[in-house]
Amino acid sequence: MFVFISCPIVRSMGLAALISVTGSAANDGAGFSRIVQPFIKENCTACHGAEKQKGKLRLDTLKADFSDPLVVEKWKEVVNSVNGHEMPPEEEKQPSAEAAARFVEWLEEELATAEIAKRSTRVVLRRMNRAEYDNTIRDLVGVDFRPSERFPEDPPAGGFDNIGQALSISPMQVELYYAAARQILDRALVEGAQPEPIKWRFEPEENTLGSDRYRVKMGKNNIILNDGKNPTVNGFTVIHHESWDKGVGFRDFKVPAEGEYVVRFRAAGRVPDRAAVVSSARAILGKRRDEELAKNPKGAKYADEAFARGVEHFSTHRMYDYGPPRVTVTQHLDGTPREIAEIDIDAPESAAGIYEVRAFFTTAKAGLEFDYAYDIPKVLENFWMQGKDEFARPELLIDWIELEGPMHPVWPPASHTRLLFDSPNKTKDEKVYSREVVSRFMTRAYRRPVQVAEVDAKMALFDKVRAEKPSFVEAIKVPLTAVLASPHFLYLVEPEAPQAVPRKLNAHELASRLSYFLWSSMPDEALSKLAASGELAKPSVLRAQVDRMLADPRSNAFVKNFAGQWLGLRKVGSNPPSKTLYPEYDRHLEISIVRETEGFFAEILRSGLDARNLIKSDFVTINERLARFYGIPGVKGDAIRKVPAPPESHRGGLVTQASIHSITSNGTRTSPVVRGTWVLKTLLGTDPGLPVANVGEIQSKVPGIDKATVRQRLAIHREAASCARCHDKIDPLGLALENFNAAGEWREQEGHGYNGRIEKNDPRIDASAKMPDGTEFVGVEGLQTQLLKKEDLFLTALASQLTTYALGRELGFSDRPAVRGFVEQMKREKYTLRSLIAAIVTSDSFTTK
Amino acid sequence: MNPTFHAPISRRTALRGLGVTLTLPLLEAMMPRSVHAAPSTYKPLPNSGTKPTPRAIFCYVSNGVNILEWVPEAKGKGYKLSPTLETLKDHQEQFSVLTGLGHPRCTGGHSGGDTWLTGADLKAVPGKDYTNTISVDQAIAEKIGMKTRFPSIEIGDQSGTGAALHSHTLAFDRNGTPLPAENSPQRLFERLFVPDNAASREATLKRYAEKRSILDDVLGEAKSLEKKLGRADQNKLGEYLNSVRETELRVQRQVEWVDVPKPKVDATGLQLNSKPNDGHDRPMWLDVMLELSYLAFVTDTTRVITFEWAREAGGLGVGGENHHELSHHGGDPGMLKKLAAVDRGYLERLSRFMTFLKSTGEGGRPMLDHTMIVYGSGMNSGPRGEHSPKNLPLIVAGGGAYGFKHGQHIAHDPDKHPPLANVLLTVAQKMGAETEKFSDATGAMSELV
Repeated sequence: MFVFISCPIVRSMGLAALISVTGSAANDGAGFSRIVQPFIKENCTACHGAEKQKGKLRLDTLKADFSDPLVVEKWKEVVNSVNGHEMPPEEEKQPSAEAAARFVEWLEEELATAEIAKRSTRVVLRRMNRAEYDNTIRDLVGVDFRPSERFPEDPPAGGFDNIGQALSISPMQVELYYAAARQILDRALVEGAQPEPIKWRFEPEENTLGSDRYRVKMGKNNIILNDGKNPTVNGFTVIHHESWDKGVGFRDFKVPAEGEYVVRFRAAGRVPDRAAVVSSARAILGKRRDEELAKNPKGAKYADEAFARGVEHFSTHRMYDYGPPRVTVTQHLDGTPREIAEIDIDAPESAAGIYEVRAFFTTAKAGLEFDYAYDIPKVLENFWMQGKDEFARPELLIDWIELEGPMHPVWPPASHTRLLFDSPNKTKDEKVYSREVVSRFMTRAYRRPVQVAEVDAKMALFDKVRAEKPSFVEAIKVPLTAVLASPHFLYLVEPEAPQAVPRKLNAHELASRLSYFLWSSMPDEALSKLAASGELAKPSVLRAQVDRMLADPRSNAFVKNFAGQWLGLRKVGSNPPSKTLYPEYDRHLEISIVRETEGFFAEILRSGLDARNLIKSDFVTINERLARFYGIPGVKGDAIRKVPAPPESHRGGLVTQASIHSITSNGTRTSPVVRGTWVLKTLLGTDPGLPVANVGEIQSKVPGIDKATVRQRLAIHREAASCARCHDKIDPLGLALENFNAAGEWREQEGHGYNGRIEKNDPRIDASAKMPDGTEFVGVEGLQTQLLKKEDLFLTALASQLTTYALGRELGFSDRPAVRGFVEQMKREKYTLRSLIAAIVTSDSFTTK
Repeated sequence: MNPTFHAPISRRTALRGLGVTLTLPLLEAMMPRSVHAAPSTYKPLPNSGTKPTPRAIFCYVSNGVNILEWVPEAKGKGYKLSPTLETLKDHQEQFSVLTGLGHPRCTGGHSGGDTWLTGADLKAVPGKDYTNTISVDQAIAEKIGMKTRFPSIEIGDQSGTGAALHSHTLAFDRNGTPLPAENSPQRLFERLFVPDNAASREATLKRYAEKRSILDDVLGEAKSLEKKLGRADQNKLGEYLNSVRETELRVQRQVEWVDVPKPKVDATGLQLNSKPNDGHDRPMWLDVMLELSYLAFVTDTTRVITFEWAREAGGLGVGGENHHELSHHGGDPGMLKKLAAVDRGYLERLSRFMTFLKSTGEGGRPMLDHTMIVYGSGMNSGPRGEHSPKNLPLIVAGGGAYGFKHGQHIAHDPDKHPPLANVLLTVAQKMGAETEKFSDATGAMSELV
């Protein structure tokens, strides 16, 4: 079953200052008689009172008992109908907006409180989600190929997809687990001699017949070799721009044996400098001008001006500070294309580099294709010349391509010997040996010591099929498949104590909680050893393990899964900025903005920096693509690295990152409402709730204003009192970010020209903000200052989210003191994420069931 | 046969196909959007491969419709089509539009997808946040599902089950557990039409026997584990136990189907690489999923399909529109216009599907006469954008061979109307699920049959 996505725990944790609306409607119990009852009497009882009960609803006697679900339902209905202006009916006297707001707020807070109070604070039996399954298989079996690709998406709760209560299972999934288990073992275990490896090298320029007409013999294959419509220079095939007929590669072959192959190619890039760009553009523009003039000699003045404007564009726009060319490598297997790499080709022509990509091939019909993938934003000034060969742009040079494999540094492969290890009994006594194999595999898969009876059951499966199977390997797969379909493998099992009080986790359970928290995978040998010896229970040992585990690359899973969900990075690209309005937003940028935010979180985590850097930092984590986009000089290469943030870049901190700007925009324009909501929810832990029914979207045109900015349109929306109640606290937080457009680019004006371009007289961005309590601030820097002043709210929000993720359950009321404790401990230890993690994993919440 | 494309594929096609199964770690979770599906060139068959058989498909569109341009002015037979329904004018005699209906127990709005085929009161169980009941497709599948390889098929634009109140599926089993939907045309195609493997009958049966003994083993493990768990954990493990038992039954079914090969299907023209959550691909994705539905019917692979065209409070319309945002139109004429354009775009897809079913003969009649289509939404985006559970947009089409009377506008008073479950019950009865009861139905819709 799925469960509710409900609001974070901090909703009513005294958020007054920054977001309070009506001063204070503190819920002191007396609120019911002071606020609710008078409102009901004044506005509702005529129809829902002692005399009439329209819709069978009587409100004057409805109690303030928020623990009774039926009562709660009725109050919710009341809130919705008042919020949505359905009640009182239009023809009746209306309550004042303030009175309605006070009434609704009081009830909403009570309802939220009741909902959280009801929530259980016990960790529920948790199924591995897809990421955890893949990582566990990688660490358990030693094959890494994302078997969960076919599993259905895991339902999230509380913002994360690792919440036990929400992770349901259906017959379809049992089928898929079973099929995946078979596939995994088929890949891991081998029989017979090592397959003869191949090593084929192709020189694309050998194709002198054009496109698909040239074939090369390799073994039994007669392979089509294609160099695309590209010139050859010094043995290199030179690709100037992306086009469907410029791809290079070879296809129509079958590899002799299934396995992992290396795709190796020698390549280089030509990167024209600015002078070359300007001079090439000047030549193209000049030619066009001359043609225009020949046609219309009277238009000389206009043609000259257009020429000058063009040259100016190519001389000044930062998009022409080119990076190295990029290539995408696509594998076609059995008719299905799959992109296996997209990388910069950073080697210069004078010293071409050798690049390698690994890919799994079956013996189905296959192909490999290399395509040019460097985007220059397509704008008015250049779209028509981008495909001209004389236009200077990064060029991709490919010398040769190799396919080598299957790669087996040892035979049998490590995945095989990990499961079918050496043992004195291996050749001597199959029965004893099979038991050793099954028992060791179970211990690791179940993440705990196993009992004799458990092994017996699996051995019964083995015995049952052994006679009819052609080999030991085929027979041993049967009990191993059962292990991978077992609830002890698929779930993190923590049996309950006989009495219903929380018990201390045993060391193996603790090791699993820890490894699924920080690695999204099973414990490794070191952790299991500490569990077996009992050492792990010591807080000092736990803390040392946190340090070790965070230093291990497996903790990338934590960065990806926690930060990716907490911050919403998984939404990047789902509603991308429109290509016409935001031509700079391309695929390379999209990949980079996600890596930036992940890298930023990772840097703060691993370098032990103050977590308040998340709000505002004096550094950024960027690559060359982002540096070009953000206008930060001196960064070369595709790797994300930490560099100081120049003040004029306005970057440094989550709210300055393009990932956040683009997920809080709607593709064509910024959405200050979504941005404000993001800040409230993510950084301050406050859920502003859903919009009430009946409210419209903001108007796209405003009568009487020629170039209405998003801000002005929003202001009109806010005139309705029902909207203002929430939007007064949401919108200012988003409006402060108006200098960042929907793609995250800095701007001083809001563009109203052709395709959203900024014209001279377009309105200047007004990023000033005023909160309901009178606090005023301006722009992203102002917002950051305000957020830093609310550091307790921020740290609590962060700690709540991290605790939710760590425990795999949503938090309830009774968790609040613990969360506060984590924040206190973190503050004592230099505000690091590591100290927060240490506080969580050594807490009672984490170490008990 | 080749499950995807027929070689040789042109480079252009291959490029378009990119991005179906991208798995480079570096690019995780990001599909390249640079390459897109092309419009389908699939052609329907002249004749169905099976004898006349009743089937049903339930098509759900999220966020309601522009109700102002949807509801026809006149009632009864021979009514004048509304501007939106004009899109279906080629099929006017093969469908009826029903207005004024709703599920009396449901709150509708953006939770309308969860209850569209169940009619359940989600809050019926005191103290529980959410309890759903069996959906009509599953009620039908329970009765007639054993006649086909797949008792039912669930399709949606999101994969899996989704979250409560924003379900990714329309189908709920007898326990109210959501059944995950498939959103990949490629995977659906493989499941329906690609042989599991070419092993011999003996080997296949052995494989099934082996699977059953493994399932038996883990079931035993789960049962003994159950005893050691607390209540909440037991409930969770209960899902596992049920699923393993159900899977055992499925293996049993597979054994029964072992001598029946999966039907051979020519995939030429199918755009199996279309992506559901890509503005450009949306119409191709809708088309290919409807084509696969058509193929599943033609080959009698299943007789019951639920198809959630877009998740409630989401969806990219027919060309990347922010459909949900449009549903909060507040009466804005510009937004209402865009909403109606999405509605018509959707109906164009439906019309194409109906044309397929019409042009394929079955036992001397068009296949459409043996196919019941229920199309609609669980929420009504009212004149001012209110999200109402009343007056839901609803079309019933096809099924002429079973007495469905079409070409009518069956209009009811939104405040006093038979429950929508009556329509669902009618379809269930015509599907051969001999029942007088479904959800809160009070009887069959007499105007319809």
